[in-house]
Amino acid sequence: MEDVRIGVYVCHCGKNIAGVINPRKVADTISKLPHVIIARDYLYMCSSPGQDLIVEDIRKHNLNRVIVAACSPSMHLHTFQNAVKRAGLNPYLLEIVNIREQATWVHDDNPEKTEKKVIELIKAAVERAFHLYPLTTETFPVEKKSLVIGGGIAGIKAALDLANAGYKVYLVEKRQSIGGKMAQFDKTFPTLDCAQCILTPLMVEVGSHPNITLLAYSEVEDVNGSPGNFTVRVKLKARYVNWDKCTGCGTCVEKCPKKVVSDFDEGLGFRKAIYFEFPQAIPRKPVIDAENCLYLTRGICRVCERFCPVGAIDFNQQPELLELKVGTIIVAVGFDIYDVSKLYEYGYGRYKNVITGLQLERLSSANGPTKGRIVKISDGKEPKTVAIILCAGSRDEKHVNYCCRVGCILGLKHVYYVKKAVPDAKVVVCYTDIRAFGKGFEEFYRKIRSLDNVYLIRGRPMEIFENKDGSLSFDVYDSNTDLMVHVDADLVVLETAVVPPKDWEELRRKLKISCGPGGFALELHPKLKPVETTVDGIYLAGFIQGPKDIPDVVAHSGAAASAAIAFMSKGYVESTPYIAFVDEDICSGCGICASICPFEAISIEVEEGRRVAKVDSIKCKGCGACVGSCPSGAIQQHYFTDIQVLTEVEALARG
Amino acid sequence: MPIAIEVLTSKHLLRIREIVGFQHPEYCYQCAKCTSGCTSAKVISEYKPHLIVALTKLGYIDELIKSGIIWACSECWKCSEFCPQEVSPVEVVLALKNIACMLGVKPPKAIQEMAKNVIETGYIQNPMNITTKDFELISREDLNLPQLKEPYKPDKWKEKLKLLIGGASNE
Amino acid sequence: MNKKFLLYLGCTIPTKQYAYEVSARAVLPKLGVELVEFEGATCCGFPLKGINKNAWIYMSARILALAEQYGLPVLALCNGCDVSLRETIFILNKHPGLKDEISKMLEEEELELKNNTRVVHTIELLHDTIGVKKIKSLVVKPLTTLKIASYPGCHAIRPTEIPRPENAKNPVKIDNIIKALGGETEDYPDKSGCCGATMLPYDAENAIRISAGKIRTLKDYGFDAVVTSCPYCMEMLDAKQEIAKSLLEDEELSIPVLYLTQLVGLAIGLKPGELGLDLNMSPVEDILEKIEV
Repeated sequence: MEDVRIGVYVCHCGKNIAGVINPRKVADTISKLPHVIIARDYLYMCSSPGQDLIVEDIRKHNLNRVIVAACSPSMHLHTFQNAVKRAGLNPYLLEIVNIREQATWVHDDNPEKTEKKVIELIKAAVERAFHLYPLTTETFPVEKKSLVIGGGIAGIKAALDLANAGYKVYLVEKRQSIGGKMAQFDKTFPTLDCAQCILTPLMVEVGSHPNITLLAYSEVEDVNGSPGNFTVRVKLKARYVNWDKCTGCGTCVEKCPKKVVSDFDEGLGFRKAIYFEFPQAIPRKPVIDAENCLYLTRGICRVCERFCPVGAIDFNQQPELLELKVGTIIVAVGFDIYDVSKLYEYGYGRYKNVITGLQLERLSSANGPTKGRIVKISDGKEPKTVAIILCAGSRDEKHVNYCCRVGCILGLKHVYYVKKAVPDAKVVVCYTDIRAFGKGFEEFYRKIRSLDNVYLIRGRPMEIFENKDGSLSFDVYDSNTDLMVHVDADLVVLETAVVPPKDWEELRRKLKISCGPGGFALELHPKLKPVETTVDGIYLAGFIQGPKDIPDVVAHSGAAASAAIAFMSKGYVESTPYIAFVDEDICSGCGICASICPFEAISIEVEEGRRVAKVDSIKCKGCGACVGSCPSGAIQQHYFTDIQVLTEVEALARG
Repeated sequence: MPIAIEVLTSKHLLRIREIVGFQHPEYCYQCAKCTSGCTSAKVISEYKPHLIVALTKLGYIDELIKSGIIWACSECWKCSEFCPQEVSPVEVVLALKNIACMLGVKPPKAIQEMAKNVIETGYIQNPMNITTKDFELISREDLNLPQLKEPYKPDKWKEKLKLLIGGASNE
Repeated sequence: MNKKFLLYLGCTIPTKQYAYEVSARAVLPKLGVELVEFEGATCCGFPLKGINKNAWIYMSARILALAEQYGLPVLALCNGCDVSLRETIFILNKHPGLKDEISKMLEEEELELKNNTRVVHTIELLHDTIGVKKIKSLVVKPLTTLKIASYPGCHAIRPTEIPRPENAKNPVKIDNIIKALGGETEDYPDKSGCCGATMLPYDAENAIRISAGKIRTLKDYGFDAVVTSCPYCMEMLDAKQEIAKSLLEDEELSIPVLYLTQLVGLAIGLKPGELGLDLNMSPVEDILEKIEV
């Protein structure tokens, strides 16, 4: 039998603990218990001299268990574990008793009873300490490579940060080109920079960076493995163009006879069946849209093949599956705008001249369907009156109940677009609030307030009606002036709500990360851990974690890259010691634990003819769900075994 | 004169929410979508459903009831359909109408008449002789329509309805 | 499909809007519907909601309990009655405490409420139960050359939390019936708007201004007639048309207004006299000429 030799340390924590109980008295009482070799009290155990007390006592008195009665373990667990380690003792032979947050801070009105409680808590810990045993952690080498899913500004920023720090990056983008929503914008607020001018240099950097492998027109098929060692299968969709041969000359696109409604132009323009997303697309390699290509659907045409100077067209191309091994994954898949035709009262989808804010961006863009002219969709003529309606679908319990965060300032930017393109136009903005919180936003709002023939109406219209000539009419109540205003507009712009992208749910399940309200990805802590997820090694970048404007997306994405770098920089990852383990003699292989484990860390394997559960020590997070579910008690959790827990409970019950 | 803050109270909101039932007048954020499309607001400029909800939240129940403006609602339910916060102004107005009658404030004359008639006969009015375009007077009998139905158990009907709506009739 | 219904007339129809009752009794049996007299059924409480919400629920629940005694579904001709009965079913389902209270009140009158009555409105009866195809097959005087507007009335459409005869986003059932009868129709602004009837007790003049605005829009869109399925809407658009003319000082503000049952009756060959068309105050003769009746 091991000779258990316990050292107990009762901290004063200044007046936090000593102001309610008497630590000296408590230490004296505890010192009388069997196997307690030494019991001290000290002003600040977490200080250097405090820690040194522990180290010296371990060496001098051959202590093999240490109990520190102080603040919550979430404060100084590691401090004391390191002290114990320094003395040459296994850090998991240390027990922290919380006598501050769970005693003196909550019951400071009854010092007598509190002191009794503190003594009982420490006594129970002493009995538990008998059953503690040394624990080890395993280290696993980490792949110094990262996968970034999504090639918008978030993915681009994360990929560049990682690549510049020396890590290999795979950037997977489902569309033909990277650039995301930002590439669709004309200008960005509040500086009114040309969006493509500031974005494309970054895109080119990504396309030519030695550390970045750009996998465009590709999607993530599945994700396996564990933090630091993920195995990801990526499907390179069939594009029917041999990208190794293709020079990006664009002749095929020019010659293709089939026009298709363009997604990039939000339905307002056309592209060809073989296409680049937009002129500055990176990679500069086209793809063939199999659902619209005349050859692939009807067996005719093949004009692109005929004219391609390097014979890069390959109608027999198959999708390719790539298996990537990466240490971290960054999720940067962005957002979609809400399908605002669901607000039938506004007529989007039924009335030609009701458009979304994103569609206005395309009209205003020099490379858009109208080369930058803002026009009525019904007849291509310039509008005389433009109405901009904010919160279309946002803050609405029947549609999207959260704020889109960017709509107010987008609406104000769109006022600027219209006045620039059609200086004599009358612009009406119908708002409920103007949320202009960011840097430079209020200044921008002030500027818009000063513009001529621009009317900011504080009210939300209920219904829009279409007149015979395609113009639109609606009533709106202005609470600023108590006037009911009737608006006849040629063009109505709806600033829509925002939602996660439409294939997000599928990808989220593959990654096994949680989602929060609205369906966006859930961060580990709303204030302090904005990029981490419940899975180590997987980080969130940009809009997918919640609505943000571009500066916030870039900052967030940089944080994600930084977190990934921190995770991979040591070159190895340590497993947690508090993992589950199986007593294979008792285990019957029933599989209940495996079905319960939320991290898929348990597998049932066949060994010597019988089924038995096996725990993957890197995937196990030590949640304990399996322990509770096991009908025979075969699976236990280190540091929280049945004996350890029940001993403490019985000691507390005895009092 | 500014209004002293002590004057504002939300104590009636609970009672109103009980009458309203499942919707949420407390969540109104004054977007005025209701007023923008309100059937009555188009012809009666003093009638603004979002304002009625805001005043209700501040406790101006007496004033709203005594002004009689609440009877301008056409109960078209557009406000309820399009309200982004499930406030349903029409139901707040209905609750105010109920409270008014409970407190003895009479509804418009025509409604008082209807109440009186429903108690007596089961219908809001007696069968009328209507004029055709040729200035003939036609009655129900002239059209060979079956006799008007009596309410089931008319005495019990009168008894119950006197209790429930008698206060609002014009007796 | 079962085509036997309790004919529930409510208040307004049997005391003033006789044309609806006359045309319904004439037309529906010709379409295969059996109408059963609903003894004991009087006001549903809809006009008195403002006085006491619980009184209204009690009155509608009483109708439902009476219907259960017959074991038949209820055909409500009036939009207001239809929404009353269905909203009561909805509220009592969601609010078991209230249902118990109301059941107690009804028990004192020897009535039981199981809350499982099926309620149907004229629009659904024609469009879904009888079916547009059947109606089309019975047409002998197609309404060709007539452009007719559908005016469902707000209570056929809202509130959308409870089942309604017309779909709020796309109210096309009456349109489909008009087309099956051979007529033309099209959408127009504020089709699902309100006639203003409930405002009459408060401010009759302004209430009529609302329906006058509707008539103005209908004239602008070149409709020959407008058809409705609610006695309140008929009252506002038809009976009050003369007043609307003088309010807006516009003699041109006249348009024939018919009940849906009257329109169907004309198309399947019934005579105007059988359909109570002499009771309509609007110039229905204009369209009678056009379809040679």
